[in-house]
Amino acid sequence: MRLYASATVAEVLDRLLADPAVAEAVVADRTLPARAADMRPFPDWLDAGLRSGLEGRGVTGLYSHQAEAIEALRGGRDVCIVTPTASGKSLCYDLPVLQAVAEDASTRALYLFPTKALGQDQLAGFHELADAAGIEVAAAIYDGDTPAPVRQTVRAAGQVVVTNPDMLHAAILPHHTKWFQLFEQLRYVVVDEAHTYRGVFGSHVANVLRRLLRLCAHYGSAPRIITCSATIGNPGQLAETLTGRAPVLVDRNGAPAGEKRVLILNPPVVDARLGVRASAYGLVERAAVTFLRADRQTIVFGRSRTSVELLLTRLREALREGRGPVGRVRGYRGGYLPSERRAIEHGLRSGDVLGVVSTNALELGIDIGRLDAAVLAGYPGSIAATWQQIGRAGRRRELSAAVLVATSGPVDQYVATHPDVLFEASPEEARLDPENLHVLLAHLRAAAFELPFEPGERFGAAPADDLLAFLGEDGHVRQAADGRWYWASENFPASEISLRVASPGNVLIIDTGGDRPRVVGEVDLFSAPTLVHEGAIYLHESRQYHVDRLDWDERKAYVRPVDVDHFTQAELAVTLKPLEAFASDAVPGGERVHGEVMVSSLATIYKKLRLESLENLGWGRIHLPELELHTTAYWVAVDPAAVAGWRRDELDVALVGAGRALQTVASVLLMSDPRDLGLVSQVRSPHAERPVVYLYDGVPGGVGLAARLFERHAELVAGARDLVADCPCDAGCPACTGPRLESGGEGKRLASRLLALLSGARADIAGAPAA
Amino acid sequence: MTHELARVSSSVPGMDRDPTLLARRLERLRALDRRLVTAAELPPPARRTAAGADPGARAAHLAAGLGGTVEEGSGGPVVVVERATPLPMTLDGLARLPYPVDMERPLVYLDTETTGLGSAAGTLAFLVGIGRWDGASFCVRQLVLPDHADEPALLAALEAEIPADACLVTYNGRAFDWPLLVARYRLHRRPPPVTAGHLDLLPIARQLWRHRLPDARLASVEAGVAGVRRHGDLPGALIPERYFAWLRTGRAALLADVLAHNREDVVSLGRLLGEMSERLADPERRRSAHPGDVASLARVFQRDGRQDEALACYAEALAAWDEREPAPTRLDRDTLAAEAARLLSRTGRHAEAEAAWRALADRGGSTAVWAWIALAKHREHRARDSAGAMEAALRALRIVERRRAVGIPLRAAERDLARRLARLHRRARARRLT
Ligand SMILES: [Zn+2]
Repeated sequence: MRLYASATVAEVLDRLLADPAVAEAVVADRTLPARAADMRPFPDWLDAGLRSGLEGRGVTGLYSHQAEAIEALRGGRDVCIVTPTASGKSLCYDLPVLQAVAEDASTRALYLFPTKALGQDQLAGFHELADAAGIEVAAAIYDGDTPAPVRQTVRAAGQVVVTNPDMLHAAILPHHTKWFQLFEQLRYVVVDEAHTYRGVFGSHVANVLRRLLRLCAHYGSAPRIITCSATIGNPGQLAETLTGRAPVLVDRNGAPAGEKRVLILNPPVVDARLGVRASAYGLVERAAVTFLRADRQTIVFGRSRTSVELLLTRLREALREGRGPVGRVRGYRGGYLPSERRAIEHGLRSGDVLGVVSTNALELGIDIGRLDAAVLAGYPGSIAATWQQIGRAGRRRELSAAVLVATSGPVDQYVATHPDVLFEASPEEARLDPENLHVLLAHLRAAAFELPFEPGERFGAAPADDLLAFLGEDGHVRQAADGRWYWASENFPASEISLRVASPGNVLIIDTGGDRPRVVGEVDLFSAPTLVHEGAIYLHESRQYHVDRLDWDERKAYVRPVDVDHFTQAELAVTLKPLEAFASDAVPGGERVHGEVMVSSLATIYKKLRLESLENLGWGRIHLPELELHTTAYWVAVDPAAVAGWRRDELDVALVGAGRALQTVASVLLMSDPRDLGLVSQVRSPHAERPVVYLYDGVPGGVGLAARLFERHAELVAGARDLVADCPCDAGCPACTGPRLESGGEGKRLASRLLALLSGARADIAGAPAA
Repeated sequence: MTHELARVSSSVPGMDRDPTLLARRLERLRALDRRLVTAAELPPPARRTAAGADPGARAAHLAAGLGGTVEEGSGGPVVVVERATPLPMTLDGLARLPYPVDMERPLVYLDTETTGLGSAAGTLAFLVGIGRWDGASFCVRQLVLPDHADEPALLAALEAEIPADACLVTYNGRAFDWPLLVARYRLHRRPPPVTAGHLDLLPIARQLWRHRLPDARLASVEAGVAGVRRHGDLPGALIPERYFAWLRTGRAALLADVLAHNREDVVSLGRLLGEMSERLADPERRRSAHPGDVASLARVFQRDGRQDEALACYAEALAAWDEREPAPTRLDRDTLAAEAARLLSRTGRHAEAEAAWRALADRGGSTAVWAWIALAKHREHRARDSAGAMEAALRALRIVERRRAVGIPLRAAERDLARRLARLHRRARARRLT
């Protein structure tokens, strides 16, 4: 029974590290110091009701970041607030909004959250504060679930409207005349969880905000924008790209925090030659069970629904063996009913729930209070997401702990062998490209529908006339005699855009497993051949679906839920043609280029691979037409003289191996899914007549990944070189240059040689290359 | 931070909209798009015609083509086309009908033609037809938008057509035309015109005439009610494209059909109101009206709480069906008679109600079940005639049982009778005991 005696986090950590299996796996053990609160008094101008309301809730002052944010807003500036989880971020916008409502009841505010659940969570908090302050304010959610009669009330009288970008885009902006009271009086726009607005989604959202601000200007309002982001590498730039305006950056957190110890564990190598490691689950279970037995509130993050269920079962079994607190450990993931989720969140805050196993569904700002320990089963894919998950553990005063257990995947192994990436490097940058021509043109159509364009009027970076003239060729937009550009079509352009995917012609995914067919999601056309071909295992919200049939002409994939221990990986025969170089530059061993390319891809076969071990379980053919992707790419053209003595087949293997390593490092650097970047290598490019490795943006027009890779070429090559050199395998493995069988055992050696050549002198890595 | 941004955008020309680079990228996109969209789906490219360049010339050209005039307003030109149609009808009876029309106020008949459905911001009304009576003719004044740019002028001209005490008369205007116009005023940041009332004829037409019409489209209603058939009427679905084609080509003739269609619609509003007034308002004239229409009107009166008039209409409709032309089905006739009998009971005319129920009961059929039940109720509670009540209930029961035997059970009536007969038996037993 002593096993379950309550213990402090420090004692649990000692206990854990006394276990040889754990101790041997530690690749990093860092302690983050405690931080005292940095408090400021309430400002003089604060409404008396608000002040007493806050004091009544035990809040006697503001944290420094809250004070900075509200003063900047008071001064008429936009702000971008960067704060970790649970640092009182909501007050940074709730307070100025309530103050404005108290001063002038006609004030309106718009809150944008990426998901419905977050909107509900935040609205509840807002109402509590408003009630405590005795301020009457009509705040309501406006989303797809809002009933029609309520919608009308919200439009006419909602002072604070809580919605999401999709709803703003499709239901509010095109119908702005019904929302004129909102647009006339809009004082604040809150863009929370802004770090989620990256990639295609972010590129769309930036254009939705352009449309919003355009309408505000039309109705005579000039709202301040409050952007909130988790810690990422470029929060201010993200906010500026998203909103088109430079905010005051508030990134010094004034909330107190206790000391935190972070461990990174890498499971032991079981086959050194093949570079195969033990599963992460064993260590995750050991760590989590040790905390739970000591009565320490713990959250375990799995990467998929399957792994959450697996971990939950293992933890419960382990606890049951010793009659542990089995019933107090719960699962939490997409697919659970909202009421179940609310109950678990509440249980976590009250302490009734001791442990929770979750997908990243809990990564976003849902309030679950502060826990003692976080255990991460696998690297979450980005430094920023890692810190968000780690941030779930963290008491105000006492010590907390976080344990990251690496899987055998390439990105995980890169982090495990380079833990400084996590602690020293700045987190990834969120990339988006509102100027993506495909995205831009789609929103320009929607914007012209909403309001005619003045001649010379800017939309984003530049005047829109050339683009409008281009749209005019199809007759949907026309320039009238007054020079303005008018929408001239029966079409409803907003309905042709889905913010979460890249291009029109999406393939709908239809679940036929239930009582009646149900659309569970969509994928863009260019991803469809590899993601939803017949026989594919498609993952949606951490759930596995088997694709029974793909109706290509109808753009529909028929799936049913399954629970299997494998995933599928499609192979593409890809040809790439460079169309235009936007920028190029001499680098050691060749040239780096950023430009526009046409990628033709034909899905050929798919493999079934076992989860975790990546063991090959079989394969099948894919019969689908070839697709063309018009996008941006970054490429490295190797100087033929530098590889003069190489055999053609050697060069081929070297380019593929180096390309894989570059792709892995690129996805670490850019906070992107490795799938977002396509890889093509050509031993003798028909265009440049040289060996070339291309990394191309996987969505039409790109989201700015290629441009950023072009800038960070030196870092990328150095990172790839380290990745290959530091990998414990002897001749290449899936974690570095690809499986050794593909390269005849030469992959690692040849890729290293090529990467060394491209690195030039060591001195070049840190600074800009000497052009 | 800003320094960082500047560096990014200057070093990556693809991020900028360098005009020559943009032109090349658009050219490639054009090539790509043209392959995805077949030529047939593309409208012909915009062409600047002689009429297109100068706004004044464009409006004049349109006015000439449509036989109208150009009215110059502060916000640009509007083309106005006026036509009078002989329509010798009066609305004198309208005030007697259960509809919210104040005959002291000016009635403004209004119908729009638009560039699409719904009232989202990209749809506009390019034609507003306004009708009013002028003696024995009905005058339609159509405001036509020569170009997108002239919309403020059209809205200003429309304001002048709608006095503040006006009552609008439309067809589906509450849900469509008026919200769309309000949206246009909002978009141009002008207050929408104030009106004192709005009579939407769509729900009225549904109430009065649905029973004998295939659908509730204005042209169908007009044909069915007033016998006016349109020739060569332009289908509504083609109207937006006609307007876009005018904008592209400057051919005014494209809009001639649209104006004719709109004019017909506005005249129809007057004609329908006239039909209502002349055929249904006056009790004498009503005798020659379609009995089904009179039956519908009875229900409208009843809903409006005007029970005497409702009863009169019920009686007229039933009489017409019984004497002049038979009802479409026997059930229609008996259902109406049952509604009338129910209203008689509710308004305390018990003797008349009893007679009405008795007549219905004698006709047999499924309605007779309820008639017998109603008689049982009346005898039990009002006439205090338990034996008579029992007899009526048993008569009802007999029909119900026959129905059940042929496989058409009348469950609600069965439940009612079971309770009712049990109570009547109990009471009869109690009386025997005392
Ligand atoms: Zn390796």
